[in-house]
Amino acid sequence: MEFGKIANLWPLLLFLLCMMGASMWARKGLSKDKGFVNNYYIGGRDLGGFVLAMTTVATYSSVSTFVGGPGVAWSIGYGWLYMAIVQIVVIFLVLGVFGKKIALVSRKIDAVTIIDIIRSRYQSDTLANLSAFVIVLFFCSTMVAQFVGGAKLFEAVTGLSYTVGLTLFGVIVVFYTAIGGFKGVAITDALCAVAMFVGLGILFSSILNKAGGYEAIMQNLATNHPDMLEPLSRGKMPVSLYISQWLLVGVCTLSLPQSVVRCISSKDSQSIKRAMVVGTFVIGLMTLLATWIGVISKGVLTGPITQYGTADNITPKTIVSCMSPFWAGVTILGPVGATISTIDSLLLSASSSLIKDIYMHRCAKKGETLSESTIKKLSMGCTFVLGALVFAISLNPPSLIWQINMFAFGGLETAFFWVLIFGLFWHKANKTGALWAMAGGVAIYCITLALKIRFMNIHQILFGVVFSGILFLIGNKMGKDQDESVLRIFFPEKYEE
Amino acid sequence: MKRSEKFRQANREAKATVMATIAVIVFWTVAGFGLANCEMQILHTPIWIWMGCVGSWLFACLVAIYLANNVCKDINFDDEDEED
Repeated sequence: MEFGKIANLWPLLLFLLCMMGASMWARKGLSKDKGFVNNYYIGGRDLGGFVLAMTTVATYSSVSTFVGGPGVAWSIGYGWLYMAIVQIVVIFLVLGVFGKKIALVSRKIDAVTIIDIIRSRYQSDTLANLSAFVIVLFFCSTMVAQFVGGAKLFEAVTGLSYTVGLTLFGVIVVFYTAIGGFKGVAITDALCAVAMFVGLGILFSSILNKAGGYEAIMQNLATNHPDMLEPLSRGKMPVSLYISQWLLVGVCTLSLPQSVVRCISSKDSQSIKRAMVVGTFVIGLMTLLATWIGVISKGVLTGPITQYGTADNITPKTIVSCMSPFWAGVTILGPVGATISTIDSLLLSASSSLIKDIYMHRCAKKGETLSESTIKKLSMGCTFVLGALVFAISLNPPSLIWQINMFAFGGLETAFFWVLIFGLFWHKANKTGALWAMAGGVAIYCITLALKIRFMNIHQILFGVVFSGILFLIGNKMGKDQDESVLRIFFPEKYEE
Repeated sequence: MKRSEKFRQANREAKATVMATIAVIVFWTVAGFGLANCEMQILHTPIWIWMGCVGSWLFACLVAIYLANNVCKDINFDDEDEED
């Protein structure tokens, strides 16, 4: 390692300190009378439009926004940008469909988690426990993948070891999430989103500088890589891939629990409206910039892919090849921000599933009351231990994690898609249908994915969602309607005299 | 507003959001694939890239603004009274 050539670490250290400070500061504004659980897991239902938008976008855009995506765009071209941009619908979709209804219902039943809502709607502990299992398993594997992605990029850009990078931001993110709770997560997410834009902006302009301007890059592409200017990229981007993308990262993200939980935390209906507009603007701009960077980095990294290793190496190589150590040090805030803003939300949600949905529910059932200070210790302790565990696994992840992670994104979507949509919009939906949909849907999704079975070459999320819906309808016929007392809470419009 | 009316409003907004999503999908398809063979270029970049990528993004922003201003109504999330 040559000293002086590596990225400057000061911007990153300063940024991570800011995260700690912001999270501490966020705790102060919470009113005590809402109770610890409300404050810790959903920020006391106090999120305004801007923060709500930023935290939803930051949770959604992960390290792959910076590393995986642009790397492939470098070799495929504009088709990849055209495909990535389908994410423009995800923010207004989740807020528009679920925002209001979940806000109304969760206040009525005092729900703090998505599982609270599912348990209360379907009156089933089995379904709630299954949901908690799916969430904890898939969230943990996703967190490991994020840690690894972030730390690898850190290693490639700074020249310091993987372990140093992981320890540096791993310790900080676990610490501030455990201490700061949801409000801390939301505020730091907003800061991370800003950092992502700073990183993207610097990277974009550095590439243009190095490659002699945008038009020079484009002329080069037109002469040497004309396929990169076509949507189908001469067969490298089949239509089935576009359809898969619309399902997997477009429409079906509607049911990702880490996004839906943000509807519970909104302050009022104005916040949701503002978040729809701000969030759509921000996620579109971020996707455009990040993926466009991948395409134009072709003007900087002109060799064949074998010269750089894998597609994941493209972003770090681009950063190193066209920036001074100081600006590389500032740019790395972007991907680090993307990494930790995804991890903090998943960590807190996973912790809420274990403490609120499983442990506290069990105590309440036995008639035990937990004191406020016990709940506080347990919640923070659980977040901390879970975070430490994920961190430890990330130091040397076993191959099992990668196998689980392959199923995570689509698995979460499949598990909750119909359970949430039917549960909130169809009064006939019952427990049996929901159980069939979740268990059967996830099983079918995982099996078809493992066996690489595809229909018209479309991603297996298609099987997951379609079969989960069919199973819901079949199961629903076998079961009986939920109690009227429950339905009156979820569908008051059906019980008007 | 009565609680039942709030829920009706939430249902209307959910339906409108689904329609809006379909509108974005249609725009994206027409603006990108639809213009793929058009020879026009801006900054040496084919027009389908501008329309399909940047255009779709701006269209989605307009759709979100429309939903926020014309479809979504402000309601109080807490129960105002116990009349229903």
